Amino acid sequence: MDYGIILGKGAEADIYRFTAFGTEMVVKVRNPKAYRIEQIDNSIRMARTRKEARIMAHAARIGARVPKVFALGTFSIYMEMIKGKTANLLSEKELDSRGVLRSAGEMLGMLHSSGIVHGDITPANIMVAEDGICIIDFGLAEMSRSVEDMGVDLLLMERSVSKKGFGLFLEGYNYRNSSSGNVIKRLEEIKRRGRYQNRSLD
Amino acid sequence: MLVMGIESSAHTFGVGIVEDGKILSNVKDMYQIKDKGMIPNKVSLHHLKCADKVIVDALEAAGVRAGQLDGIGYTMGPGLGPCLQVGMLSAKAMAHTLGIGVTPVNHALGHVEIARAYAGLEDPLVLYVSGGNSQILKVSQDRFRHYAVLGETFDMGIGNMLDTFAREIKLLPAWGSSVEKAAAGGKYIELPYTVKGMDFSFSGLLTRLVELSGKEKKEDLCYSLQETAFSMLCEATERALLLTRSRELCVCGGVAQNTRLRNMLAQVAAEHGAKFGFGPNEFNADNGGMIAFVAERMLKAGKRVDIKECVVKQRYRIDEAEVF
Repeated sequence: MDYGIILGKGAEADIYRFTAFGTEMVVKVRNPKAYRIEQIDNSIRMARTRKEARIMAHAARIGARVPKVFALGTFSIYMEMIKGKTANLLSEKELDSRGVLRSAGEMLGMLHSSGIVHGDITPANIMVAEDGICIIDFGLAEMSRSVEDMGVDLLLMERSVSKKGFGLFLEGYNYRNSSSGNVIKRLEEIKRRGRYQNRSLD
Repeated sequence: MLVMGIESSAHTFGVGIVEDGKILSNVKDMYQIKDKGMIPNKVSLHHLKCADKVIVDALEAAGVRAGQLDGIGYTMGPGLGPCLQVGMLSAKAMAHTLGIGVTPVNHALGHVEIARAYAGLEDPLVLYVSGGNSQILKVSQDRFRHYAVLGETFDMGIGNMLDTFAREIKLLPAWGSSVEKAAAGGKYIELPYTVKGMDFSFSGLLTRLVELSGKEKKEDLCYSLQETAFSMLCEATERALLLTRSRELCVCGGVAQNTRLRNMLAQVAAEHGAKFGFGPNEFNADNGGMIAFVAERMLKAGKRVDIKECVVKQRYRIDEAEVF
């Protein structure tokens, strides 16, 4: 099927720009993986597509800014096109002046308070638009109340921003999540475990 | 430089001899597992009994005398304590008699480095799959040069899972290669599939398989187990490949001998235009050659380890080991 202009290729899915009814939208398509047998491949792609859309809809309901889901296909999600740049493409100065990391912290605090763990929260998944920030890519998200999962979310963020940036992020996070203390305590515990000590790419 | 390497971390007592990066000999004696798993003390007794013979055979096969050796490497860990002790003692005793140094080597690093060398890869993303380990690795330089663990199993190594299941359904010999044989002609049964980013988990899969054993055909279970577990590994590896933008992919460790896994990984690599490679099977199975290979590199780089630091470390992680 022709989804339009390709915007990006990910490990799991491809992103296209698609126009219908005069509206620009983004289509996220989970393409088949040739290495897996069809039965496994289809059931995983189908289950993950539905789960992602469900979690995005839930996130929108609790007031987090995420792309609106317009329609759901078997292996594809049609969603709102957010115009802007991802936070990893902005300088520390730009991030600062627009309060990006603090807002992102608030947003993650809201998601966690409502039982949504993002699973891949890095600056590349924080879209900075004209009217504020928007969290994207719920491909690895889970409905979870586990302090461990939330701690891993924070860990991923801490690893991908500066010390000061993470401080701002936590300010926002604390503001929106009344049980943030437990999560931060768990984050410190996770960092002390061997497997994370040398776990960086740089 | 002429270096001997002694491997004894699990069921295999292996001795290899290397000269300037070339493996001259690689001899091993493997503890035969019947219906139960490995009992560390029993396996270490096996190692003690065969140690002398394997060492002599390795020297003979290489056509060298012990007196010509410049150094001796041994597996420091990870592995089973009593088994590791035997290798360390053999190395120390010989080194003492010969008046040469002892070099402790990380077992996982041995597998990775020798596979990388044989596959002719420069700086690959590595999937290391063995009994006790299942990790996605890439060289990283921060405090020192080492393999960073990008993803790994949350619970058991894939090899351990395959072996346990083989014992459960009474395949003989009870390990992964028997599962691979039994999988031929099997049909797919849905099983739990657990990947989280670049990490994965096998315990839920094993639990379900054990529940189904006796109720479903062996070949269907083996086929579905391989397809599910290997798909999980491939998915996590593909994610790491994209994240690191690696141009090369390498698979090593005992389970790297599995043809189906190799074919699937070759597809993952091809999809992203990466070069794919692996080492010969004799180095994917546990062996002394790879220990000698890494020990020689360490010695050539000027690394000398004080005898007091030559101990065994059951949980010696690959990301703690410096790469030379």
